[in-house]
Amino acid sequence: MDYSLLLLVLLGCPVAAALLIAVLPAKAVPRSAYEAIHVVSLLGVATCGLALVVAAFTGSDIFALGEWFHLDGLSALFLALIAVIGPCTGIYSLPYVAHDVAEGKLGPSQVKQYYAFFNLFIFSMILAVTSNNIIMMWVSVEATTLSTVFLVGVYRTKLALEAAWKYVIVCTAGVAFGLFGTLLVYANAADVMADAHQAVFWTSILPNAPLMDHSLMMIAFVFAAIGFGTKAGLFPMHTWLPDAHSEAPSPVSGLLSGVLLKCAILIILRFYILAAANVGDDFPQLIMMILGVLSVCYAAFEVYKQNDLKRKLAYSSCENVGLIAVCFGIGGPLGIIAGLVHCVAHGLTKAFMFCLSGNVMMKYHTRDLSKIKGIVSVAPVTGVLFILGCLALAGFPPFAMFVSEMFMILAGVAARCWWAVALVLVALVVVIMALVHMITGSALGRAPEGVKRGDVSPLALVPEVVLLALVVLLGVALPGPLAGSIEEASAIVLNYESENPVNGSLFDEAMAALAVQEEVEEVVE
Amino acid sequence: MFGYPLVNVLGACLIITSMMVVLARTGRAAACLYSLQSLVLVGVLASLGAVTGSTELFTWSATAFATKVVLVPAILLYTLKKIGSDAQADLPPRMNPMKSVALVAVEVFVCFVVVSGIDLPTADAALPTLAVSLAHFFIGLTCIVIQRSIFKQIFGYCLMENGSHVTLALLAPQAPELVEIGVATDAIFAVIILAVLVCRMARYTHTLDADDLCELKG
Repeated sequence: MDYSLLLLVLLGCPVAAALLIAVLPAKAVPRSAYEAIHVVSLLGVATCGLALVVAAFTGSDIFALGEWFHLDGLSALFLALIAVIGPCTGIYSLPYVAHDVAEGKLGPSQVKQYYAFFNLFIFSMILAVTSNNIIMMWVSVEATTLSTVFLVGVYRTKLALEAAWKYVIVCTAGVAFGLFGTLLVYANAADVMADAHQAVFWTSILPNAPLMDHSLMMIAFVFAAIGFGTKAGLFPMHTWLPDAHSEAPSPVSGLLSGVLLKCAILIILRFYILAAANVGDDFPQLIMMILGVLSVCYAAFEVYKQNDLKRKLAYSSCENVGLIAVCFGIGGPLGIIAGLVHCVAHGLTKAFMFCLSGNVMMKYHTRDLSKIKGIVSVAPVTGVLFILGCLALAGFPPFAMFVSEMFMILAGVAARCWWAVALVLVALVVVIMALVHMITGSALGRAPEGVKRGDVSPLALVPEVVLLALVVLLGVALPGPLAGSIEEASAIVLNYESENPVNGSLFDEAMAALAVQEEVEEVVE
Repeated sequence: MFGYPLVNVLGACLIITSMMVVLARTGRAAACLYSLQSLVLVGVLASLGAVTGSTELFTWSATAFATKVVLVPAILLYTLKKIGSDAQADLPPRMNPMKSVALVAVEVFVCFVVVSGIDLPTADAALPTLAVSLAHFFIGLTCIVIQRSIFKQIFGYCLMENGSHVTLALLAPQAPELVEIGVATDAIFAVIILAVLVCRMARYTHTLDADDLCELKG
């Protein structure tokens, strides 16, 4: 199979759907036509995306349009998130938008706008994870902001427009710093490479990274961490995140939190790899650790404090992105594996939870947790899923986030980052308290009068069940191909292939490192 | 006074014109001054093209003229016309002009200090302009923070974008044209989207005052 062509088809599906929806007249065309185009596009994204992911996981290094697009084991992991969460939230959009239309919240032009920008958003994320040209990488991250502004402000209320404004201003300003970092890397690479035209390609820069100027590389990494960290929702650049996530329609919140934040993490990782190859691991790890610990500690207390369901989930995203940064801050094979597993686990869990918040809003017409009570008695399936979702988000077994958080703690112990492990554990306890409170206060209890009993439509439940099944599957047993891909992605982050050829499994090596350390401690004693 | 000295003099003009954009009393004046600033930017790109012999930079200066001198100000003036005079597009900034000038002076000074420590052959002769381009980021950020009118905040983004453009030209004069087109197109789309949002704000919330738009607490 020609995977280069398939990659272009993958990029073409959502952009073609967006353009087609955009040219159709809003009032003359029925909603079902937009929905049909949307579903076809999602099917294309799912099939082409997963086919490419499988190819990348089985060892293919895919390039398209010369070296402009590149899919390796690392980007394939993030493409897998898009190919799964994109279609799930996209399908969930169908009953959600229909409900909003019935309620009079969305008119024909807003429905058209929703489906067009949803597809454009998916396109820009695919572009971000597959770009090999570092400047196009920046352009695509900026494009993700521009394509989601009208999704955040689709309801056209004062709060929605305020959130959209904050989102676009904070992210475009933040990502401008990312551009500066990108340009510094390019200029630095162009100085040491024989062919300056190759200095825009990440795969060409990496082998030359050790030759580049160290101080410039450090400045570039700081700019990239601030710039793309804004997009990832890291503290203190996170201010757009709770507002945008809470005001956007729930499927969009799921996509923002589940995938977009992780795409920004991938871009930071690309710079992390270059910086580590240039100045060593310590500097990028220190920056990630500072940003991560601050994010986790700040966001954990905000999760507890919030009384708005979607803001609670949004701050939880900020906290989890912080955990991912802590994992990369700890570093080493186990730290990187923990970070990547947490990207996948949190992406799936949070998309699941935001879709559930949509179900809750469809039933209760509010996000105020003091008014949301007895979900189990009002909508039993949603209620049970809601309880399971809260437990999954809290990191209980047998859910995926338990595995990634355990890896993170083991990595922290192995690296002797006691203070970071202690702070993170305290923050996790606060988050568990907040989520357990959400179960007892909202999922259980007596339902308020006036709330119509009965669950949401089956079409709204199917994507949630699929996401939950994946969350449980990853928690019970990391499937072989996925574990292999995470190892391959970790090897790319650690720049293993060139310097430290992998003899066995990275998982095994990481666990062996932990065991050796324990043995050394015993001998010392 | 040709070659890099001219580039550096034009760089200084960029700072003066950006200060004028930040201090402009009306949205209309800010749009016109932004057009003037972009004209200086076109001069920087063209003179850099002449100095480095990069044909790409001449193309960039032509596209910058079309997009930044003509198109962006036209979009912003059209937005101003569309939202009408009742909207608060001309609200004065939160900070008085003297303090704003002092703040910008500090930012420019800090950027010069930072850039003087950089050893980069690509931009060795144009370090002052590199400092100016970096300073534009912070001037743009200052503009976003101090303006009460969200319409005027758009100019903050535009200034940051001009800074990126100069940095791109200084550090990556041989970058493929498609890259420059990508960055420029992105900027145009960003301005269009910001302008549409301003129109929607005026239409649905009847205010362009950033102080009225702080119900969400971040």
